[in-house]
Amino acid sequence: MLEGFGAIVRKDLRLEVRSGESTVALVSLSLLILVVMVLAFGPGGARRAEVAAGALWIALIFAGTLGASRALMAERESGCIRGLLLSPVEPATIYAAKLAVALIFMAEAGVAVLVMLVLFFNLEFGGGLLRLIPVFLLGALGLSALCTLLATVSGRVRAGGMLLPVLVVPLFTPALIAGSKASAALLAGQSLGAVATWLKLLCAFDVLFVTAGYLLFEHVILED
Amino acid sequence: MKGYLPVTLAAATCLSMLTALYMVFVYVPTEVDQGIVQRIFYFHLPCAWVTFLAFGMVAIAGGLYLWLGHKIWDDLGYAAAELGMLFCTLVLVTGSIWAKPIWGIWWTWDSRLTTTFILWLIYGGYLLLRSFADDTEEIARFAAVLGIVGVVDVPIIIISVRLWRTIHPAVLLTRQGEHGLEDPRMVATLLVSLGAFTIMFVWLLWVRLATLRLRSRVATLRRDLAVLEAGAHL
Repeated sequence: MLEGFGAIVRKDLRLEVRSGESTVALVSLSLLILVVMVLAFGPGGARRAEVAAGALWIALIFAGTLGASRALMAERESGCIRGLLLSPVEPATIYAAKLAVALIFMAEAGVAVLVMLVLFFNLEFGGGLLRLIPVFLLGALGLSALCTLLATVSGRVRAGGMLLPVLVVPLFTPALIAGSKASAALLAGQSLGAVATWLKLLCAFDVLFVTAGYLLFEHVILED
Repeated sequence: MKGYLPVTLAAATCLSMLTALYMVFVYVPTEVDQGIVQRIFYFHLPCAWVTFLAFGMVAIAGGLYLWLGHKIWDDLGYAAAELGMLFCTLVLVTGSIWAKPIWGIWWTWDSRLTTTFILWLIYGGYLLLRSFADDTEEIARFAAVLGIVGVVDVPIIIISVRLWRTIHPAVLLTRQGEHGLEDPRMVATLLVSLGAFTIMFVWLLWVRLATLRLRSRVATLRRDLAVLEAGAHL
C-alpha cells in the first residue's frame, strides 16, 4: 500500500516540477484574490486582522478548489486514470496519494499567500504568522479531502468544473467558520490556546472527511 | 394492492391536511404575545421535520445504492432530495414571514437559520448536479456519495454555527421554542399537522418515485431498442 502511495505521489510531484502548471495557476489566482480583497476593503483600518484572515480563507477556498481537482483531472484528460485503476493499487490508496499531492500544492501556495498577506495588509512577520500555519494546514487538509473526493464531477458532467465549487463550498462551511475565526484571533495577537475550540473543530472536520473520502472514493472513481 | 396505495395515500393526505388546516385556523387559540402570525408555526415545524426526514432518506438510499446497486435506491434518493429541497425552501419562507413581524427583520444569521440555509445550499448543489448530468451509473454513484457526505456534514455544521453565534451573540435571542406551547390545543394542532405533513411527504415521495421508475424503464427500453435496430442493420 505504501509503495503505491509513494509511487503516485512521486510521479505527480515530478510532473509538477517539470511543468510547474499547478503552482503557477494556484499562486497567481491567490495573488489576484488578495489584490481584489485589498482593493475592495482597503489595506489598513481597525479590522485589518479580520479582513486579512478572510482574504486568506477566500484565497484558500477558490484557488484550492481549482488546484486540488487538477491532480485528478489531469489523469482523466490524458486517459491515465485507466492505467492507475488497472495497476495493483487500491482505489483508497489512489485517494490517499492524490489527497497528499493536493495538500502539498495547497501548502506551497499557502506559503506564498501568507507572505503576500503580510506585505499587502502591513502585518508583522512573527509569532502570529507562525501560529497561523497549523490552522491553515488543517483547513487545507479538509478542503483537499473534500475536493479530491468530489473532483471527478468535472469531466463527467457538463459545466462540471463550475459545479465543483458549488458542491464543495457549502460542505466546507464548518471548517471555513472555524478557520477564519481562528485566523482572525491569531492575527490579532492571541495564542493558540485561545482558539483551541476552533482547532478541535477543524480536526474533527478533517478526520470525518478524510475517513469518508477514503471509504467512498472507490465508488466515484470507477467507470462504467 | 399496489394500485390502491397511491389513492389511499392521496385520500389520507387530503383528509389529514383539511383537519390540520381547520385546527390551525379555527380550533387553536391565538398566541397572546405574537398574535395571529404565530399560527404559521404549525406549518413551519412540520416542514422542518419533513426536510430532515427527506435528507436523512437521501443518505440512507445512497448507502443502499452503493451497497446493493439496484436503480430503485438511486431513484428513491433523487425523489427524496427533490422533496427535501421543496420543504427546506418552505421552512425558510415560512420562517421569514414569521420573523418579519416578530423580530422586525426577514433574515438574521441565527444558528438555526444559518444551518438550514447551508443545508439548502448543499442539496441545491445535489439537484444541480442531477439536472446537469446524464442519467448514468457513474452519476448515480457520485450522487449517492454526495448524499452521504452531505448528511455526515450536518452535525458538524450545527456545532460550528452554534459556536460561531455564541462568540458573536445574535441581536435577537427570542425563538418560538422559548415561548413553549402553553395550551394543550396547541400541542394537539402541532401533532395533527406533523402527521398530515408526514403523510403528504410519503404520498409525494411515492408519486415521484413512480415517475422516476417509469423514466428508468423508458431509458432501458430505448437502449434495448437501439441495440435491436443496430442488429437489424447488420
